[in-house]
Order: sequence, then C-alpha cells, then structure tokens
Amino acid sequence: MAGYKPVSIQTYPVLGEKITQDTLYWNNYKTPVQIKEFGAVSKVDFSPQPPYNYAVTASSRIHIYGRYSQEPIKTFSRFKDTAYCATFRQDGQLLVAGSEDGVVQLFDISGRAPLRQFEGHTKAVHTVDFTADKYHVVSGADDYTVKLWDIPNSKEILTFKDHSDYVRCGCASKLNPDLFVTGSYDHTVKMFDARTNKNVLCVEHGQPVESVLLFPSGGLLVSSGGRYVKVWDMLKGGQLLVSLKNHHKTVTCLCLSSSGQRLLSGSLDRKVKVYSTTSYKVVHSFDYATSILSLALSHEDETIVVGMTNGILSVKHRKSEAKKESLSRKRRPAYRTFIKGKIYTKQRDDIMINRPAKKHLEWYDRDLKSFRISKALDRVLEPNCVIKTPEVTVSIIKELNRRGVLANALAGRDEKEITRVLNFLIRNLSQPRFAPVLINAAEIVIDIYLPVIGQSPVVDKKFIVLQGLVEKEIDYQRELLETLGMMDMLFATIRNDSTSLSEHVPAELPEKKTESPCQPGDTDKNS
Amino acid sequence: MAAGGGGSCDPLAPAGVPCAFSPDGQAYFALASNDGHLRVWEAANNRLHQEYVPSAHLSGTCTCLAWAPARLQAKESHQRKKRKSEVIGTSDQVDLLALGTAVGSILLYSTVKGELHSKLISGGHENRVNCIQWHQDNDCIYSCSDDKYIVEWSTQTCKVKCKWKGDNSSVSSLCISPDGKMLLSAGRTIKLWVLETKEVYRHFTGHSTPISSLRFITIRPNESQPFDGITGLYFLSGAVHDRLLNVWQVRSENKEKSAVMSFTVTDEPVYIDLTLSENKEEPVKLAVVCRDGQVHLFEHILNGHCKKPLTSNCTIQIATPGKGKKSTPKPIPILAAGFCLDKTSLLLVYGNWFQPTIERVALNSKDTHICLERDISNCWAPTVETAITKVRTPVMSSEAKVLVPGIPGHHAPIKPPPLLQPKEVESKRKLGGNEASIEERLGAMDLDRKGRKDDLLQTTSFPVLLTQGLESNDFEMLNKVLQTRNINLIKKTVLRMPLHAVIPLLQELTKRLQGHPNSAVLMVQWLKCVLTIHASYLSTLPDLVHQLGTLYQLMESRVKTFQKLSHLHGKLILLITQVTASEKTKKVLSPGQKAKLVYEEESSEEESDDEIAEKDSDDNWDEDEEEKDSEKDEGVDEDNEDEDTDDKEENGEDRDVSSEKELNGDSDLDPENESEEE
Repeated sequence: MAGYKPVSIQTYPVLGEKITQDTLYWNNYKTPVQIKEFGAVSKVDFSPQPPYNYAVTASSRIHIYGRYSQEPIKTFSRFKDTAYCATFRQDGQLLVAGSEDGVVQLFDISGRAPLRQFEGHTKAVHTVDFTADKYHVVSGADDYTVKLWDIPNSKEILTFKDHSDYVRCGCASKLNPDLFVTGSYDHTVKMFDARTNKNVLCVEHGQPVESVLLFPSGGLLVSSGGRYVKVWDMLKGGQLLVSLKNHHKTVTCLCLSSSGQRLLSGSLDRKVKVYSTTSYKVVHSFDYATSILSLALSHEDETIVVGMTNGILSVKHRKSEAKKESLSRKRRPAYRTFIKGKIYTKQRDDIMINRPAKKHLEWYDRDLKSFRISKALDRVLEPNCVIKTPEVTVSIIKELNRRGVLANALAGRDEKEITRVLNFLIRNLSQPRFAPVLINAAEIVIDIYLPVIGQSPVVDKKFIVLQGLVEKEIDYQRELLETLGMMDMLFATIRNDSTSLSEHVPAELPEKKTESPCQPGDTDKNS
Repeated sequence: MAAGGGGSCDPLAPAGVPCAFSPDGQAYFALASNDGHLRVWEAANNRLHQEYVPSAHLSGTCTCLAWAPARLQAKESHQRKKRKSEVIGTSDQVDLLALGTAVGSILLYSTVKGELHSKLISGGHENRVNCIQWHQDNDCIYSCSDDKYIVEWSTQTCKVKCKWKGDNSSVSSLCISPDGKMLLSAGRTIKLWVLETKEVYRHFTGHSTPISSLRFITIRPNESQPFDGITGLYFLSGAVHDRLLNVWQVRSENKEKSAVMSFTVTDEPVYIDLTLSENKEEPVKLAVVCRDGQVHLFEHILNGHCKKPLTSNCTIQIATPGKGKKSTPKPIPILAAGFCLDKTSLLLVYGNWFQPTIERVALNSKDTHICLERDISNCWAPTVETAITKVRTPVMSSEAKVLVPGIPGHHAPIKPPPLLQPKEVESKRKLGGNEASIEERLGAMDLDRKGRKDDLLQTTSFPVLLTQGLESNDFEMLNKVLQTRNINLIKKTVLRMPLHAVIPLLQELTKRLQGHPNSAVLMVQWLKCVLTIHASYLSTLPDLVHQLGTLYQLMESRVKTFQKLSHLHGKLILLITQVTASEKTKKVLSPGQKAKLVYEEESSEEESDDEIAEKDSDDNWDEDEEEKDSEKDEGVDEDNEDEDTDDKEENGEDRDVSSEKELNGDSDLDPENESEEE
C-alpha cells in the first residue's frame, strides 16, 4: 500500500491575467442593477452616515436612493434648469447643489423646498462642497469665480477670482475648515485658504481639470483632466508625485476606496480603473456600457455606483459573505467524535505517536495502482476532467507512456471511446505545453486504428478534423520559424552594434543571448 | 410683428424676417432684413419704393415693425386690425412705420418724408423689443420687450406714458382688442390687461415656447348677448417651434384657461394674416406662412370647442420650374401673405428677403394643394447673400462624422443630424450666457448613438484604435484590430502607429501568440509586420533582448515539436487518403455534409481556446459546458449508428465486461482484468 506512488500531475503556469487579491476583491460584486435617469448622471454622492443613502444628480433633478432601493426614496425637482453636484454634508442631514442658473441651493434631507439659496454666481455652478466645519459652503462656477458662503445667514463671505476659466470641480479639506481646492478649465488646480483672499497653492495639471480629490490626510491631491490622473504632494508645495495615463479618453471622475488604499478613476472610455495608492499601478479595471461621468463608493466599498452619459445608473452591491459562515457553523453531530483526540494538546510528559496518515488516492490512481490502465484512461477522459483539468489527463497519458502501456490502454476501444480520445487530442494538441505527449499519443492511435479506418464515419470525421488542425499548426510553426529568423537578425545587429563582435558566430549568438533573458521570463510564468 | 419673435434667431432662415403690408390697401410692403436695411416695396408693381438704413443698424437690428393705422380708410375696413386701419386724429401720421430694435429703442420712420421721424428711447426698454402695436384710436404705441416690461408711448411727445411689468419672463407679443380697451400680452402665459387701469383681466395658459403672434379673430361675439366689448371674442396665438396655432375665447367667467381649438400647420408660423367675419355665417379666413415657406389657408366658422386640431383647407407652395432634365424644381420660400380687400385674392411675397417678389393670386381653386411655378432666376442675386451662404452649415451625408471642438482628448464622432445641437451650442457660447456643459454635449452625442449595436467602437481608424486599446488595455478594441485578416490593413496600421506603442503591441502579441493556431496565425502576421517595418527602431533599443526574450523563447518552444508534428501529419495524410478512397468506393457520405461538420468543430475549438488564453480559467465554464453537451449529442448519434460497424462487437463485449466489474465493486484487485489488458 505504501509502495504506490501517485502520478505526479505536472502543473503548468496558468495563462492570462494573474488573479490577485485585488481582482478577487473587486470582482466580488453582484450583477449590476441599472436604473434609468432623466439625463446624464453628472454626480453621485453617498451620505457619510448610515443608512448610507446616495444622491444622484441628473438633468434637473436630484434623486436620493436608499442602499438597496431601485426607486428614489426622495426627489428634489425644484430646479429651473440643470442641477449639478448634489453633495451631502458630513452628518448626512443637509444637501447642497449647484445649478445651471447660478444659484446654489441648500436642502434639508427631510424637507422639500430649499432651506437656503445662495445667489451671487452669474453662471452655472458646477461644483459645491461643505467645508470641514459644516457651516460653510464652497462653490465654483462658470463665471471663473469661487465663492465661500455662510450657511446660517446665507451670506457670501469671500470671492476668489484667481481662475481664468470655468471652475468645474472642487473639494474641501476634511481636516481644516479653511482649506479647499478647485480645479478649472484653465488647466490649474488651486488651493484656497479662507483666511487669506488669494490662492495659497497652484499646480499646473496641463489639461482642463475635470475632477479633484483630496486624500483624507490632506497631504495628497489627485487631479484628473484629459487622459491623465496626477497625484500631487501638497506638503511639498505641490510637487508632482505620479502622472497616470491609463485611459484613452478624458478622465471624468475620481474616487477613493473606503480604506484609502485604492484610487478609482472613471473615464469617457467606459472604464473604471482601480489603482493602488502605494504603487500607483492599475490593479483592476471595470468595463461599462457607455462613457462614465460620475462614480461613488459607499461605506466599506459595499456598493459601487456609476453614472453614465446615457442616463443609466449602474449600482453594484458586494456579495454578502454570510453564506460561508453559516456553512461552517453547520456541523454534523458526529463532528465532535470525529475531531476527538485530534485537538488534544500535548502535555508535558506525553509522547506523541503519529499514526501514518492515510493517503488519499484519486480514482485514476486507484485504477493505476491496480493496473486497470484502460479504466484509468477512461476516467481521465470523462468530460468533467477533460474540460476542467486537461493537465491531469495529459499526465496520465504521459505516465502510461512511461510505463510503456499506452498502446494497450488505447487499444480495443469502440467508436464512442475513440471519438472521446480524438476529441481530447483535437482540443489540446495545439497547446504547446501538451503537444509533445499528445503527438506521441496521436501517432499510437493512428497506428492502432489504421486497419479499421473507414468503418466508422464519425471517427473518420474526427481524423479529418485532426488532420486540419495539424496542418494549421504546421503552417503556424513555419510562420514562427520565419519570424524567429527575423528576430535572430535583429538580435545579431544589436550584438554587433554593442560589442562589435566578429561576424563568424551570428548563428549561435541569438540563442546564447536569449537563454539568459529568458530566465526572468520563466520565473514570471511560474509565479 | 407677426414675425417679431422668430425673426432674428436664425439669420439665414428663408422666412421669418419682420415684415408687414401697409394698411391702406396694401400698397406697400415693408421688410426689415437682417442686414439692417428697411426696404419698402410697392406691392402693385414690385418695385423698391424706399430704402432706409438706421444709423445703428448693425448693433441694433430691427426685430419688429408695425405700420401706423391708415388715416383715410376710416370705418369700412375694420377688419384690418393688423394694419391698424382706423382713423386717428393726426393726419401726418399716416405713413409712419414703427421699428423695434434689438437694443430696446423704437424708431418711427416716415415713408412720406423718407427719413426718420422720431426716436423713442428715453425711459423705454433695456432689452430687445419683441412686438409693437399701434393703438387704433389714439396716438399710442404699445411695445413689449425681453426686459419683461410693457411700455405705453405717446407718439406726439415721444415720451413714455406708462410702463409696467408684463410678466416674470420676457414679453414676446402684444395685441390690442378690437374696441381698443384691452391689451393681450404673451409672456410665459397670455394675459389680458385692462388698458385703463393696467390690471390683469384674464389669464390664459399659452404655449410652452415663446409666443410669436397674437391676433384677435372676431370683433363681435357670435352669441346674441349684450356685448361688453371683450367677452366672447376669440383670439389666435402662434408660438416659436410650435406647429399648432391655438384659438382662445374670452369667457365671462374666469374658469376656462385652455384653448378652445387649434389649427395645425407644417412648421412654425412666421406670418399670419386673416379676414374677420362680419356676420355669423361667414367663415374666418386665415393665411399662415410657415417657416418652411408654405402658406396654409384655413376657413372656419368659430363656434366653441373643437377637440381635434384642424388641418388646412388649402396649401400654397411656390417652386422653380425644373430647367430641362437635370435640375429638379426647387422650392421658393414664401415670406408673407396678406388677404386683399375683396377677401378672395391673396398677396404673396416670395423669394429672398433681399429682393422679394410680390404677386397677387386669386383664390378660386378648390384644390387642397396649389403649387405655383415661378422663375426667379432673373432676379438680381445679391453678392452679400452668397457670401453669407458660405457660412451655412454644410450639407453632410448621413455617414459623415463631425468632431466636436472643445472636448479635449475625446475623439468620439457625432452624426450631423443632432438638430442644430452643435450650432446651438456654439451660439450659446458666443453669447456667454449659459454654455452647454460637457455633460450636455456628451448627452447630445449619446442620443445620436442610441440604437446602434456597435456603438462601442466608433473610430474606424485602426492605428488610433490600436493605440487606445493598448493604452487602456481594452480587450474589445484590441480584438477588433488584431483579428483583421487583411494583410494590407495590417501593414498600414503598423506603419502608422506611433512608435511608443510598438513595445506594448509586442507584449500584447506575446500574450496572444499562445492561443489556437487559427487565431495565432494572424498574430504572427502582425509580429512579422512590426519586425519588418520597425526593424530599425527596434534595433536601436538597448534593452531589446529583454523586451523580446519571452517572445523568442515562447516561439522557440512551440516550434520544437515541428518535426514530430510533420511526422504525424504525414501519417494523418495517409490515413485520410485511405478514408477518402474507401468512401469513394462506398459512397456513403456526401462530401458536403462532411465539410459542414468540420467547420463547426473548428469554430468551437477556436472560441474555447481563445477563452482559455485570455480569461481566467473559471470564466470559460459555460462554453465548455455547451461543448460537453454537443459531445453528448454526438454520442447519442453514434449510438444510433453503431449497429453496422464491425469492431463494435468486440469492443462492446469488452465494455460489458468492464462494466460488470464495476458493478462487482472496484475496491478489490482483479488479476484477470490486469492480464487481459496486458
């Protein structure tokens, strides 16, 4: 019993994208719920307080949705023209919104009519925000001005005229009640201090700024505009830390994940990209149907809400993890007897004698162990195994070949089983990782069944398909050989350029050269 | 004045410039064109009578005009309310023409003297004058403006007599009641004012868009009730962008606020003329000139409610005669139409506003559609106009794509028919009042794209698509580009792609080269193109070997099996020839069937392989399931066909044996089985 050594299943690196912690985390959302709004959704904002409702600004309305409701639980529709940038206050009680006619309106969540109206801007107000002390509102408008308003007596406190084009985005610091930043179409992002009447810091983004974001710590500033997302260090006086160019169209919105570890950017190219804030590499990417205008994440990343140009609001909820817990809790009554003794902790004088652990053998291993080779092959040719783990099948074939019994295992099969074998060959022959083993197997199959060929049309068809495939593969490899020749030339010229070697070893050079750089590539694959 | 509202919003519209017939038998036709000139034409012989250029004609273009009521046409022509054809005291006012301008001033021009009579400015409007009305009986002028006010002027003193706020938004049109005691004004709603006290007497709903014309249709009510001068009267309203003309009735009680009936026309009304009915039996005749250059005639006896909108009794169009076979007849826009005194003929003004043609047309036909053929090619075509026509938005084919300026980095094209959307955007921008936000513009673009299936990829330029796809790692885009089979296209794309995209492309190709030969062959084509075209660039890269190392090794490992494969291929060829040979003798299957099946299998193979290569292994579950199903189906087919094969018998026995063993239990060793296999 102990003498049998199970077949080692050769593992191959999985092709395609690597599955990282981030992909798992960001893929763990349910299928999106789509809600049709009246117009392009220009802003989505989550209430910072439970129950984490969110306000959606589209056309001349502001809808407030509950976390799981698909119908608005509240609507503010008293706008004469397009509304912009409905934003919750930190306590979730008040909502402020700008409008195309230049009026900033303040709403109570429970009320319907505006509590306050701030009139003073002459053109559309595209951005509003509450300052950290909750009693002031910052607004930026298309009349190039930024204004600071006092909520209690609805007065204008300050006006900044530093920008020279439309002010389209802004953000107030969460820590300092006097600090806020605004981004403008004049390509700059400016930081203002309410204690002075000039901007205290100005960074040049290089593109019309569509969105700005302050990190919770207040030290880092993110601006987006054009195809770039740029991160600035405010504490170093506006030094550019990173410039990210991962979209091919204008980046319209920015958002931080609740942990602050991930930055999300939405763009007109229909994608949302997730960056790590430590490495500033794209760690995940979402696809949407149309250009994205607004983006928001709820508390604990439970919900992703994306507003698009065609007025569709896409809401994704995180899959609940309650299921797993409930599963683990459901233990059979025999569990305790089963676990008895295993959890026994060793006392001081005890001597532990380990019982040899019973080896668990796969079905094909059991078959192989009892020399039922044909059956073992049958097992691994089951559709389930073939599709899910073709490498197991290939390993068994390899093992059989090593034992020299492959021909026996393949022989004596009826039409159906032969078709199964051939199907597997057709499926996997062109994969380079399986090719050497399978070519061998194919030759054996041909050798065995040559006498009976022409008797079953189904099998004949499979052979013809296989032949077509092999022909294609050969053509392909011929092309590859030609290409290899080209690359040899290229590599040769490089070597000649750099080291000016004599020309009598050009044929060997590329191989030598490629050996060394291939190592990093290999390790990449294996990891 | 009928055209006051819509006149200047589109300077190149064929119709819609302020114009009016003179009240005294329509001897003259005044037309204020957009170049700032006021021209008075003789209606009878179509000659230019006078031309006057106001000094501020460029800054303050004429927005509306109104003839003073005629002096001598005293009582008999009550119905020409439009021309204010009632006697007024001052004799020298006869040929006065009031012009409202875009800057808010009102000019009084005397056609007798041919010069400016007086200017009404002080204390007047601050914004564009929308409509001017002369009072029939006294020397008052009423005007309304975008500044929300209605002003009553005295023409004697040229001073403001009274000024009051007419509405919360701009007041677009005015009309004085037949008895001269009431005034209709149209802003957001239609209001009926008592002129004496300047109080609102009635409200009417109005239109959703600014009202461009208001007219009283009847001068006395049909009901034989005591007539207080206003109750029971009907009036008509036409609005900008509205194809319906509404008719309202002034009721004694204040309940009814909606229209009693409506007339429908083909386009926005720009000029309205009507004959008033003098007794109950005689219908009201209405001539409506639309923006599309047609005239619609209505005849209707007003008698209370009518739910359905009425369509016209007769439509008049004018077109050029088609010269020979090559030219198709072109429509000539009608600018204005007025009923003559006999009510059976119509004065039509058509052509361009620079030199209109005025013609009298008798209305005796019963046809519902009249198309007049007129040749206006010999008319002097002004060079000014041709210069302006160049500005006109070009006629674009439906496939043409327009890039909207001002959205940085956004290359999405839009189709031309967004119904003046881009134009509106631009004009708004010039005004600086309220420009379209990026959201709106995007929204507008999105509307056009709706309904098209492949709207995701609009750019047909492959190099652009390729670079964009590489930058954002967009799977669909890359697929679209890389899966082309056209060698020439590949070459051109590689030739035109930016250099910085070469290395990313090579990396992408590396990923894709590992797939099924069907798709990978295309990738090799790309790779070859890149290597040949960008060879010199690549050879300058210092870390080329690093960059291409993986690729090289991958290709090399793949071609290692070349020899073996060729060997296998040889065997297969032999096999296949045997099969075909035996088939020829047997003639069991037709080759057509066979080819079909081969194709199906290949395609499914390709798909699944691509899936494996590109997605996570979990994702391709579904497809594989399908494949499994198909396999099962095949299995069923085979079972049916199995009977006639020879070797089936033996194998079948084998299988029976093995299955029996399975039934017996698989745990115990079975030496027999082993020996059998060996």
